[in-house]
Amino acid sequence: MADAMSHDEVADLLALDAVGVLEASDRDSMERHLATCETCRQAAAQYADVAAMLPTALELVPPPARLRRSLMAQVYAEASTTAGIPWWQRLVAAIPASRAFTVVGAVAVVAALAFGIWGAAGRSTQQAPIAYTVSGTTATGTLDVSGGTQGVLTVNGLDPLPTTEVYEVWLIPLQGSPKGVAFLSQGPNGGPWTAVMHGNMAAYKSIAATVEPAGGSAVPSNTEVLSGQLTES
Amino acid sequence: MHLSDDDIVRSISAHSPEGIEALYDRYGGLAHTVALRILGDRGAAEDVVQESFLAVWRRASTFQAGRGSLRSWICTIVRNRAIDRLRGDRHRTRLDTPIEGESIEPVTSDPWAAVALELSGEEVRKALAELPAEQRQTIELAYYGGYSQSEIATAMEVPLGTVKGRVRIALDKLRSSLADRMETPWQTQ
Repeated sequence: MADAMSHDEVADLLALDAVGVLEASDRDSMERHLATCETCRQAAAQYADVAAMLPTALELVPPPARLRRSLMAQVYAEASTTAGIPWWQRLVAAIPASRAFTVVGAVAVVAALAFGIWGAAGRSTQQAPIAYTVSGTTATGTLDVSGGTQGVLTVNGLDPLPTTEVYEVWLIPLQGSPKGVAFLSQGPNGGPWTAVMHGNMAAYKSIAATVEPAGGSAVPSNTEVLSGQLTES
Repeated sequence: MHLSDDDIVRSISAHSPEGIEALYDRYGGLAHTVALRILGDRGAAEDVVQESFLAVWRRASTFQAGRGSLRSWICTIVRNRAIDRLRGDRHRTRLDTPIEGESIEPVTSDPWAAVALELSGEEVRKALAELPAEQRQTIELAYYGGYSQSEIATAMEVPLGTVKGRVRIALDKLRSSLADRMETPWQTQ
C-alpha cells in the first residue's frame, strides 16, 4: 500500500503519540511512514524528547530508599539465577573449539575452576566466600560475601530500636556517595541482627550501618554504629 | 565514575545489573514523580516504578537503536504503565509495546536531546506558562490524565480536530521556546 501521508499529517500523529493519545487505528499508518522517512523519524524523536520535558516541570518527589533496594535485590537475584551456570557447563564452555586442545589444557581449565578463578565478565572472580569483620562501639559481626555479588551481614551487640527507627546498611563505593542496600533485622529471641545485600561487592571499599528513620534515608543522617573495610587481609 | 546515557544504554543492552542501577539512579526520581503525578498514590506509584524498571531489566537483550532519548524512553514506559493502572486495565497490550517495540537511541546522536537534558525544571515551567491556557490544558489532560483524544474533546467542548491541532502546536511552541532559552539554533527540518 502506498504511503499517502504528508509530513504535516504525520507530524500531527507524532505529537499525539508523544503525549500518549495516539489512536491505535492511526499507529499502523504512522509506523509505515516512519519506516521509510528519516525526516519524520527525527521529528518523532524530537516530539518524544519535548514530551519527556513535561515531568521536569513538576516538583521532584524522590522515591523512598526502600524502592531502590527492593528493585536492585530483585535484579541481582535474577542476574545470579541466570548467570548461575553449573560447573560442568562452564567446563564444557571452556573447551576450545580447536582440535589442538590438549589434555594439559583440560587440566588447566579444571584447576582454574577448582581455585575459583573462573568468573563472569565484570564480576568478582572469587567463588569462595569471603568474610569481612565489622565492628562498632558495642557491636561486632561479619560480612560474608559469596560469588562477589551477595553479602550476608551478621551482627551481635546492637541495641534494640523503637519501631520508628531502623539500622540501615550502607555500602561505600570507591568513588561516590554511600548506597543504602539493606536493613538489619533481629533474629528471634534476641538473636543476631542480619541483612542480605546484592551488588558487585568489588565496587565498594567499606560497609557501615547507621540508625535511620523507619523506611530508610537517601543518605546517612547519623553517625555509624558499625563499620568494616572490604579489603582482604 | 560518571556514566553517559550512551554508557547506560550499552550496559543495559549487555544485561548488566549495574546498567539498571545507573538508569534508576539517574531517572528513578523523575520516574517516581511522573507516576505519582498521574496516580496520586505513593504505593501505586512505587509499584509502577518498580514494574517499569524490572521490565527494562528483563527485556534488556531486545534493545535496539530507535527514536528518542533515554529519558524520554523511560518516561514513556513509566507514564504508560501509570496510565494503564489508572484506567484499571492491566491486560492492554500497550503495557508491553513500549519495551518490545520501542528502543533507545544514544543521546549524542540527537542534538535536541542533548539540549533538553541541560534545561532546568524552572525553564520548562516558564515555557509551559507561556502556552495559551487551552493548549497547556490539552497537553496536561493527555499526558497526565490518560484521557483519549475524544475524551479531551468532550471535556474541553471542542471538536476532535481541534484537540489534534492543539497538541502539535503546543509541542512545537514548547520546543521552540526551550531551544531559544538555550540559545541553541533550532534545526528545522
